Amino acid sequence: MLNTLPEALSIIFTLEGLLVLVLGTFLGIVLGALPGIGSTVAVAMVMPFTLTMGQAPAILLLLAIYAGSVYGGSVSAILINTPGTPQSAATCFDGFPMAQRGEAGLALGWATVASIIGGVVSAIVLILAAPTLAAFALNFGPIETFALVLLGLTCIVSVSEGSMLKGLIAGTIGLFLAVVGGDPITGEARFTFGQFQLLAGFDLLAVVIGVFAITEVLMRVSGPLDSSNRLTDFKGVVLPRFRDWSGRVKVLVKSVLIGNGIGILPGTGAATAAFISYAEAKRSSPNRAAFGRGEPDGIIASEAANNAVTGGALVPTMALGIPGDAVTAVMLATLTLHGITPGVRLMSDNPVLMGAIFTGFLLINLILLPLGMAVGKIAAPILRLPEAFMLVGIVLLSTVGVYFVRGNPFDLLVMVTAGIFGFILRRQGYPMAPLVIGMVLGPTLEISLRQGLILTNGSFGAFYAGHPIALVLGMITIVMLALPAVNRMRARQGADS
Amino acid sequence: MFERFKTTSCLAAIVCAGMASSAAAQEFPQQPVNLVVPFNAGGGTDLLIRGFAPAFAEALGGNVYVSNMAGGSGTVAAGSLAEEDPDGYRLGYWSMTVATVQPQIKDVPYDKDSWTPICSIAASPMILFTNAGSPFKTIDDAVEAVKDEPGRYLFGSSGPGAMTHLAAVAAFEGLGVLKDVRHLPFQGSGPALQAMAAGTIQFYADTEILMNSGDFRPLVVFAPERLESYPEVPTAAEAGIEPPLAELDLWGGLFAPHDLDPKIRDQLSEACGKAVASDEFQAFAERTATVLNYRDAESFDVFFRKQYDDNKVLIEAAGL
Repeated sequence: MLNTLPEALSIIFTLEGLLVLVLGTFLGIVLGALPGIGSTVAVAMVMPFTLTMGQAPAILLLLAIYAGSVYGGSVSAILINTPGTPQSAATCFDGFPMAQRGEAGLALGWATVASIIGGVVSAIVLILAAPTLAAFALNFGPIETFALVLLGLTCIVSVSEGSMLKGLIAGTIGLFLAVVGGDPITGEARFTFGQFQLLAGFDLLAVVIGVFAITEVLMRVSGPLDSSNRLTDFKGVVLPRFRDWSGRVKVLVKSVLIGNGIGILPGTGAATAAFISYAEAKRSSPNRAAFGRGEPDGIIASEAANNAVTGGALVPTMALGIPGDAVTAVMLATLTLHGITPGVRLMSDNPVLMGAIFTGFLLINLILLPLGMAVGKIAAPILRLPEAFMLVGIVLLSTVGVYFVRGNPFDLLVMVTAGIFGFILRRQGYPMAPLVIGMVLGPTLEISLRQGLILTNGSFGAFYAGHPIALVLGMITIVMLALPAVNRMRARQGADS
Repeated sequence: MFERFKTTSCLAAIVCAGMASSAAAQEFPQQPVNLVVPFNAGGGTDLLIRGFAPAFAEALGGNVYVSNMAGGSGTVAAGSLAEEDPDGYRLGYWSMTVATVQPQIKDVPYDKDSWTPICSIAASPMILFTNAGSPFKTIDDAVEAVKDEPGRYLFGSSGPGAMTHLAAVAAFEGLGVLKDVRHLPFQGSGPALQAMAAGTIQFYADTEILMNSGDFRPLVVFAPERLESYPEVPTAAEAGIEPPLAELDLWGGLFAPHDLDPKIRDQLSEACGKAVASDEFQAFAERTATVLNYRDAESFDVFFRKQYDDNKVLIEAAGL
């Protein structure tokens, strides 16, 4: 790969190549920041324009949009408590409280640096070890995936602020919402009540935008509205000082590893990675007590992980020609349209092109820094608008974004209903994070469990036997669930003696 | 004064009405024509229609744009279009499964009589394949192994009722061993191909372009004749699969809601034929390994209705 580097660089360092990188990343950040337009939609929107471009610029444009949009989702999550993409939902938990405290610029600074480090590390891993890691990922069958997702579900426990019971109820509601629609194994309709629109299930994005953006707007409208009030005080991105990082490096490293690892595995995605990483940070960070009230570690955990997924998802895509998610599927389709057969021979047959793609991907992650600062400069005056305007703007953008994804008016009904429902739940003190986690993990949990049962001929007993990876993950799950109880007991004993 | 106003407005109305009717008769596309893709942007179907749209626009002499309406294996878009007025400005691209299988296995608001078929565009042969390293060199080896150890081998699919599922069912049912293999559905072709590479499943059926993405060995192809690219692989009929199972065909075509004005229908159908024959679209199809198969409105209507009934056998065999 290294011996093709000069040739690869000569592809990137042309006017077209650089223009594609800069404009693509910038556009990606803006699209990602718009509520509703997630990475998949952003990449699919741009794809038709790549048909007239050369091979390398076409793929680089899509990669730039991809990486940019994952970062862009954090901008709206922090500034207006509306995740631009589902994978930035976990960034809201600490990002928005920081913004409310008047530290919006610094919150975005943490998100920017964490995103870049996550993206750069994942790019380096992709360049150095893609074939090896892709081969390892093949060990992850349905049973291993089930064990991993089950472990992910335990993070409901750690993100349930206030009442544990209410958190678990919200999580169960989320899991139930994921059950509505066609059965993934038999195809039968479930809980559709004769409404054929429900056959497709609830759209994740419509529900996420509903319970975050619409619920937030309702919460604010129900309080006293002051026309001179601002939603957040934001003047531009403020990068964290070097010494502020002390005590946070461990969270960063762990989050990057979690994001990258989950990205490489089939069947999961950036939203799962961000939630698991956030939950792990909340469990183990030295600053865990402040989580949920504007703790930078929460932002770092979520943003480092979701950007580390990007390079991870490209590992099976580039090494095996098998798409890791919907975004990489669009990329493979684009390769095909440019006359390149994606597959196991992709890297060996096209070394120069792959070299250009990998180097370009690294560069994209580096130019996120200046471009992120630039987007901050542009967003600042918009955020100085009175709160009432902002709230109307959020509703408008959410509506357009949600409609755009599937072109289905029914999704708007889902968004508004989820918003009202979320408002009622939040008024009663139910946290929204577990609901979204349940809905994100639910479909994977179900299909992997049922696939596993087909493989073991319906035997739950045979599930973990003969699957060492699943067994280890299962044991970690039990420890994660038991730890809080054990700690509490120890604390009580300590107090007694 | 009032009289004169009445006369002029009468005259104006007559003139306007005359202009409107002549305009409708002469130049049909007075506004852009919308092609609805029932799946997400970026997928195989979406690509095909985005490649087709410019050629179709040129042949039609008007503007054409593509929109996506995903969900419910394509039934959300089809159900929504079925209820619209047949004005010819909104056409859906339905595959064989959306048009003939889904309405017979799900409670959707459309059926055989909901459409004015316009034209068929593509028909990609489905291939049943296994891993290149597998001990099964031919379809006979596979059938023998399955018979020796019933219940041991699995075939995957991209989802229940999907073409990948039906093709594998057609093959194993046609060879009389469907009860001896197990079905493992995935969500999309990506995870299923990954499971093939990992050896979790032994058989999978998809189009040639997907099969070429990995190290796989074709066993049987659903086509009337052997493929040029794989002359040694037998067709379904040669492998001993009988019709109608052997005639499985992943076709797709344009549909308008039923009762479309026959004049507009023929105009659209003709433009579709020109577009399919255009150099531009032919080159596109070659790049994407798509097999084109144009049928005009009348023959597509007959074909579609026969398929709708023939596929009942397949649906029953798949247990859907």
